[in-house]
Amino acid sequence: MQLSDRITGGALVLLGAAAAWGGSKLPAVPGQDVGPAAFPMLIGFGLIFCGSLIAFGVGRSFEVEEEPQENSGSLMARLGLRVLVPPALLLFYALAVDHLGFLLTAGVMVFLGALALRASVKLALPLAIIAPFFVHLAFYRLLRVPLPEGLLGAPW
Amino acid sequence: MDPLLEGLRLVAAPDVLIAIFASAVYGLVVGSLPGLSATMATALLVPVTFWLSPIAAIATIITASAMAIFSGDIPGALLRIPGTPASAAYTDEAYAFTRKGQPELALGAGLWFSAIGGIVGTLSLMLLAPALAEVALSFSTYEYFWLALLGLMCATLVARSSPIKAIASMLLGLLIACIGMENPAGTPRFTFGIPDLLGGIEPIPALVGVFAVSEVMRAMASVEPPKMPFRRFGSILANQWKLTKQYQWPMWRGNFVGIVIGVLPGAGADMAAWVSYAMSKKFSKTPEKFGTGHAEGLVEAGASNNASLASGWVPSLLFGIPGDTITAIAIGVLYMKGLNPGPTLFTERAGSMYALYIIFILANIIMIPLGIVMIRVASRVLRAPRAAVMPIILLLCAVGSFATGNNLFSVLLVGLFGCLGYVMEKNGYPIAAMVLGIVMGNMVEQSFITSLIKSDGDVLPFFERPVSAFLAALTLGALFWPVAAWAWKRLAPRRAPAAVG
Repeated sequence: MQLSDRITGGALVLLGAAAAWGGSKLPAVPGQDVGPAAFPMLIGFGLIFCGSLIAFGVGRSFEVEEEPQENSGSLMARLGLRVLVPPALLLFYALAVDHLGFLLTAGVMVFLGALALRASVKLALPLAIIAPFFVHLAFYRLLRVPLPEGLLGAPW
Repeated sequence: MDPLLEGLRLVAAPDVLIAIFASAVYGLVVGSLPGLSATMATALLVPVTFWLSPIAAIATIITASAMAIFSGDIPGALLRIPGTPASAAYTDEAYAFTRKGQPELALGAGLWFSAIGGIVGTLSLMLLAPALAEVALSFSTYEYFWLALLGLMCATLVARSSPIKAIASMLLGLLIACIGMENPAGTPRFTFGIPDLLGGIEPIPALVGVFAVSEVMRAMASVEPPKMPFRRFGSILANQWKLTKQYQWPMWRGNFVGIVIGVLPGAGADMAAWVSYAMSKKFSKTPEKFGTGHAEGLVEAGASNNASLASGWVPSLLFGIPGDTITAIAIGVLYMKGLNPGPTLFTERAGSMYALYIIFILANIIMIPLGIVMIRVASRVLRAPRAAVMPIILLLCAVGSFATGNNLFSVLLVGLFGCLGYVMEKNGYPIAAMVLGIVMGNMVEQSFITSLIKSDGDVLPFFERPVSAFLAALTLGALFWPVAAWAWKRLAPRRAPAAVG
């Protein structure tokens, strides 16, 4: 996800403009000069300024160049889609946990996460079965976090 | 009761002692795994602190962070992969020892001087914080505004990246802090009709996302680090006393620099290690030996990063302004446990403050035996397959963020912040600056708006009081320093040929 400074700088300018515009629309506090709009507008203008400097390449000389990492292997790795697996699994967790319950959801999450990190099924499967039980024990029993039971309840 | 005795009594409670021991083991293990930083170890602990007593909660944060900063040296020395960013400054030096067949000397130096640095840093905390509390009592919103801004500017200065990108990251953090209705007027801002956003973005899901989830994402895109060959170590502390006597002066300098950098709001252990290592090389009688397995830099930087850890608590306890990303988390825990930061903490809750000092010292003492055990078993711990560790970290991110508010929206936030952190890191935007922006946003705005209302929209009173004028000068200096450095760089090559000619 290495983007050019023009793109990230431009995005910051847009974000800053949106913040300043959104801020300016906020209602003022009656009888006072400064209200909730002042701070977002100030930040918005700051972002527009910084974003344009970045887009024009000012300050590049301070940066430490990162070594390029080679992407080899499957098409998925080359496209860099693999990095989206963790947020996708979190999304899955948020959507599924109330229906499937913690143990099943966590099991699927660990299994797919391990496979995406090139683990063998021999490692991923036992891990996906054992790890959720320990996490459940720690958070549900010891820390009393109300983890949903769903389809498969824990023995405790 | 005498505050010192009260502090001792608080620490001697069984739950506190168990918390110290358990978090020490946790910190050592997590810190030693490459890619899992001390900040991340601390962020993942927060849900656990909900269920602990206030002192036990603080004890887990202090102990885990101190251990993780030391244990980051282990993979640095053995595999040339720093376990935490704070070890990165001297990883090559430590690895040179391993190549020479003396890994135990480098690891021992890391351990011994980390412990000394931690204890000296704690002593500075004990001396500085109460003394500064007297001064802080007279601070008004103007001083708080400049101090908070100075903290943010320091965070942008220390980022080893483009200062403009760092300032942009900080502004992004401040903008994120604007979300919700926690502003002086109580108006919902940037909530887009989503009720979950009314309360604002909690720092913990944001921290867990940018530090932990983005790390799991990075692991997905990179090749697994090499496995460490099994090795036996000689005596770990054998030559440390000799080194202490030989490099006494660099050690004290490292401690001092670490303390100063720690006290600066916004600058933490990473920066302390980089500055101290560079300083050690500059002032050394044998700078040519650096990088070839020379202990001097290790001694100075190893002491420095742990010293900064303790002194980083000075601005956090006094003003609620984090000294680094770890204390940014700690401040949240302090508020949650009713130990609201502020100068009165040292008068009203003196016993708790003494307990905090005692925990720091205790953590640095038990670091030595536990650290030796950790070094000896490191070959086994470091063999844990990344494909097994990272999915569990991801699961803990989900459960931990859910636990902060029993709210699945936090889980989504963690994922979003993970993506944001990943993209920012890849493009040279420092994450720590954004995190401090999020943590300090409310404070900056509150002091800014209150000051403006007090002064009737006039800017002059921001500079009128002596302390606020001094802080303003420091802040503006930090803001314009990059411009000056850039101009200096542009002018230098032109002057050089002129001098030759």
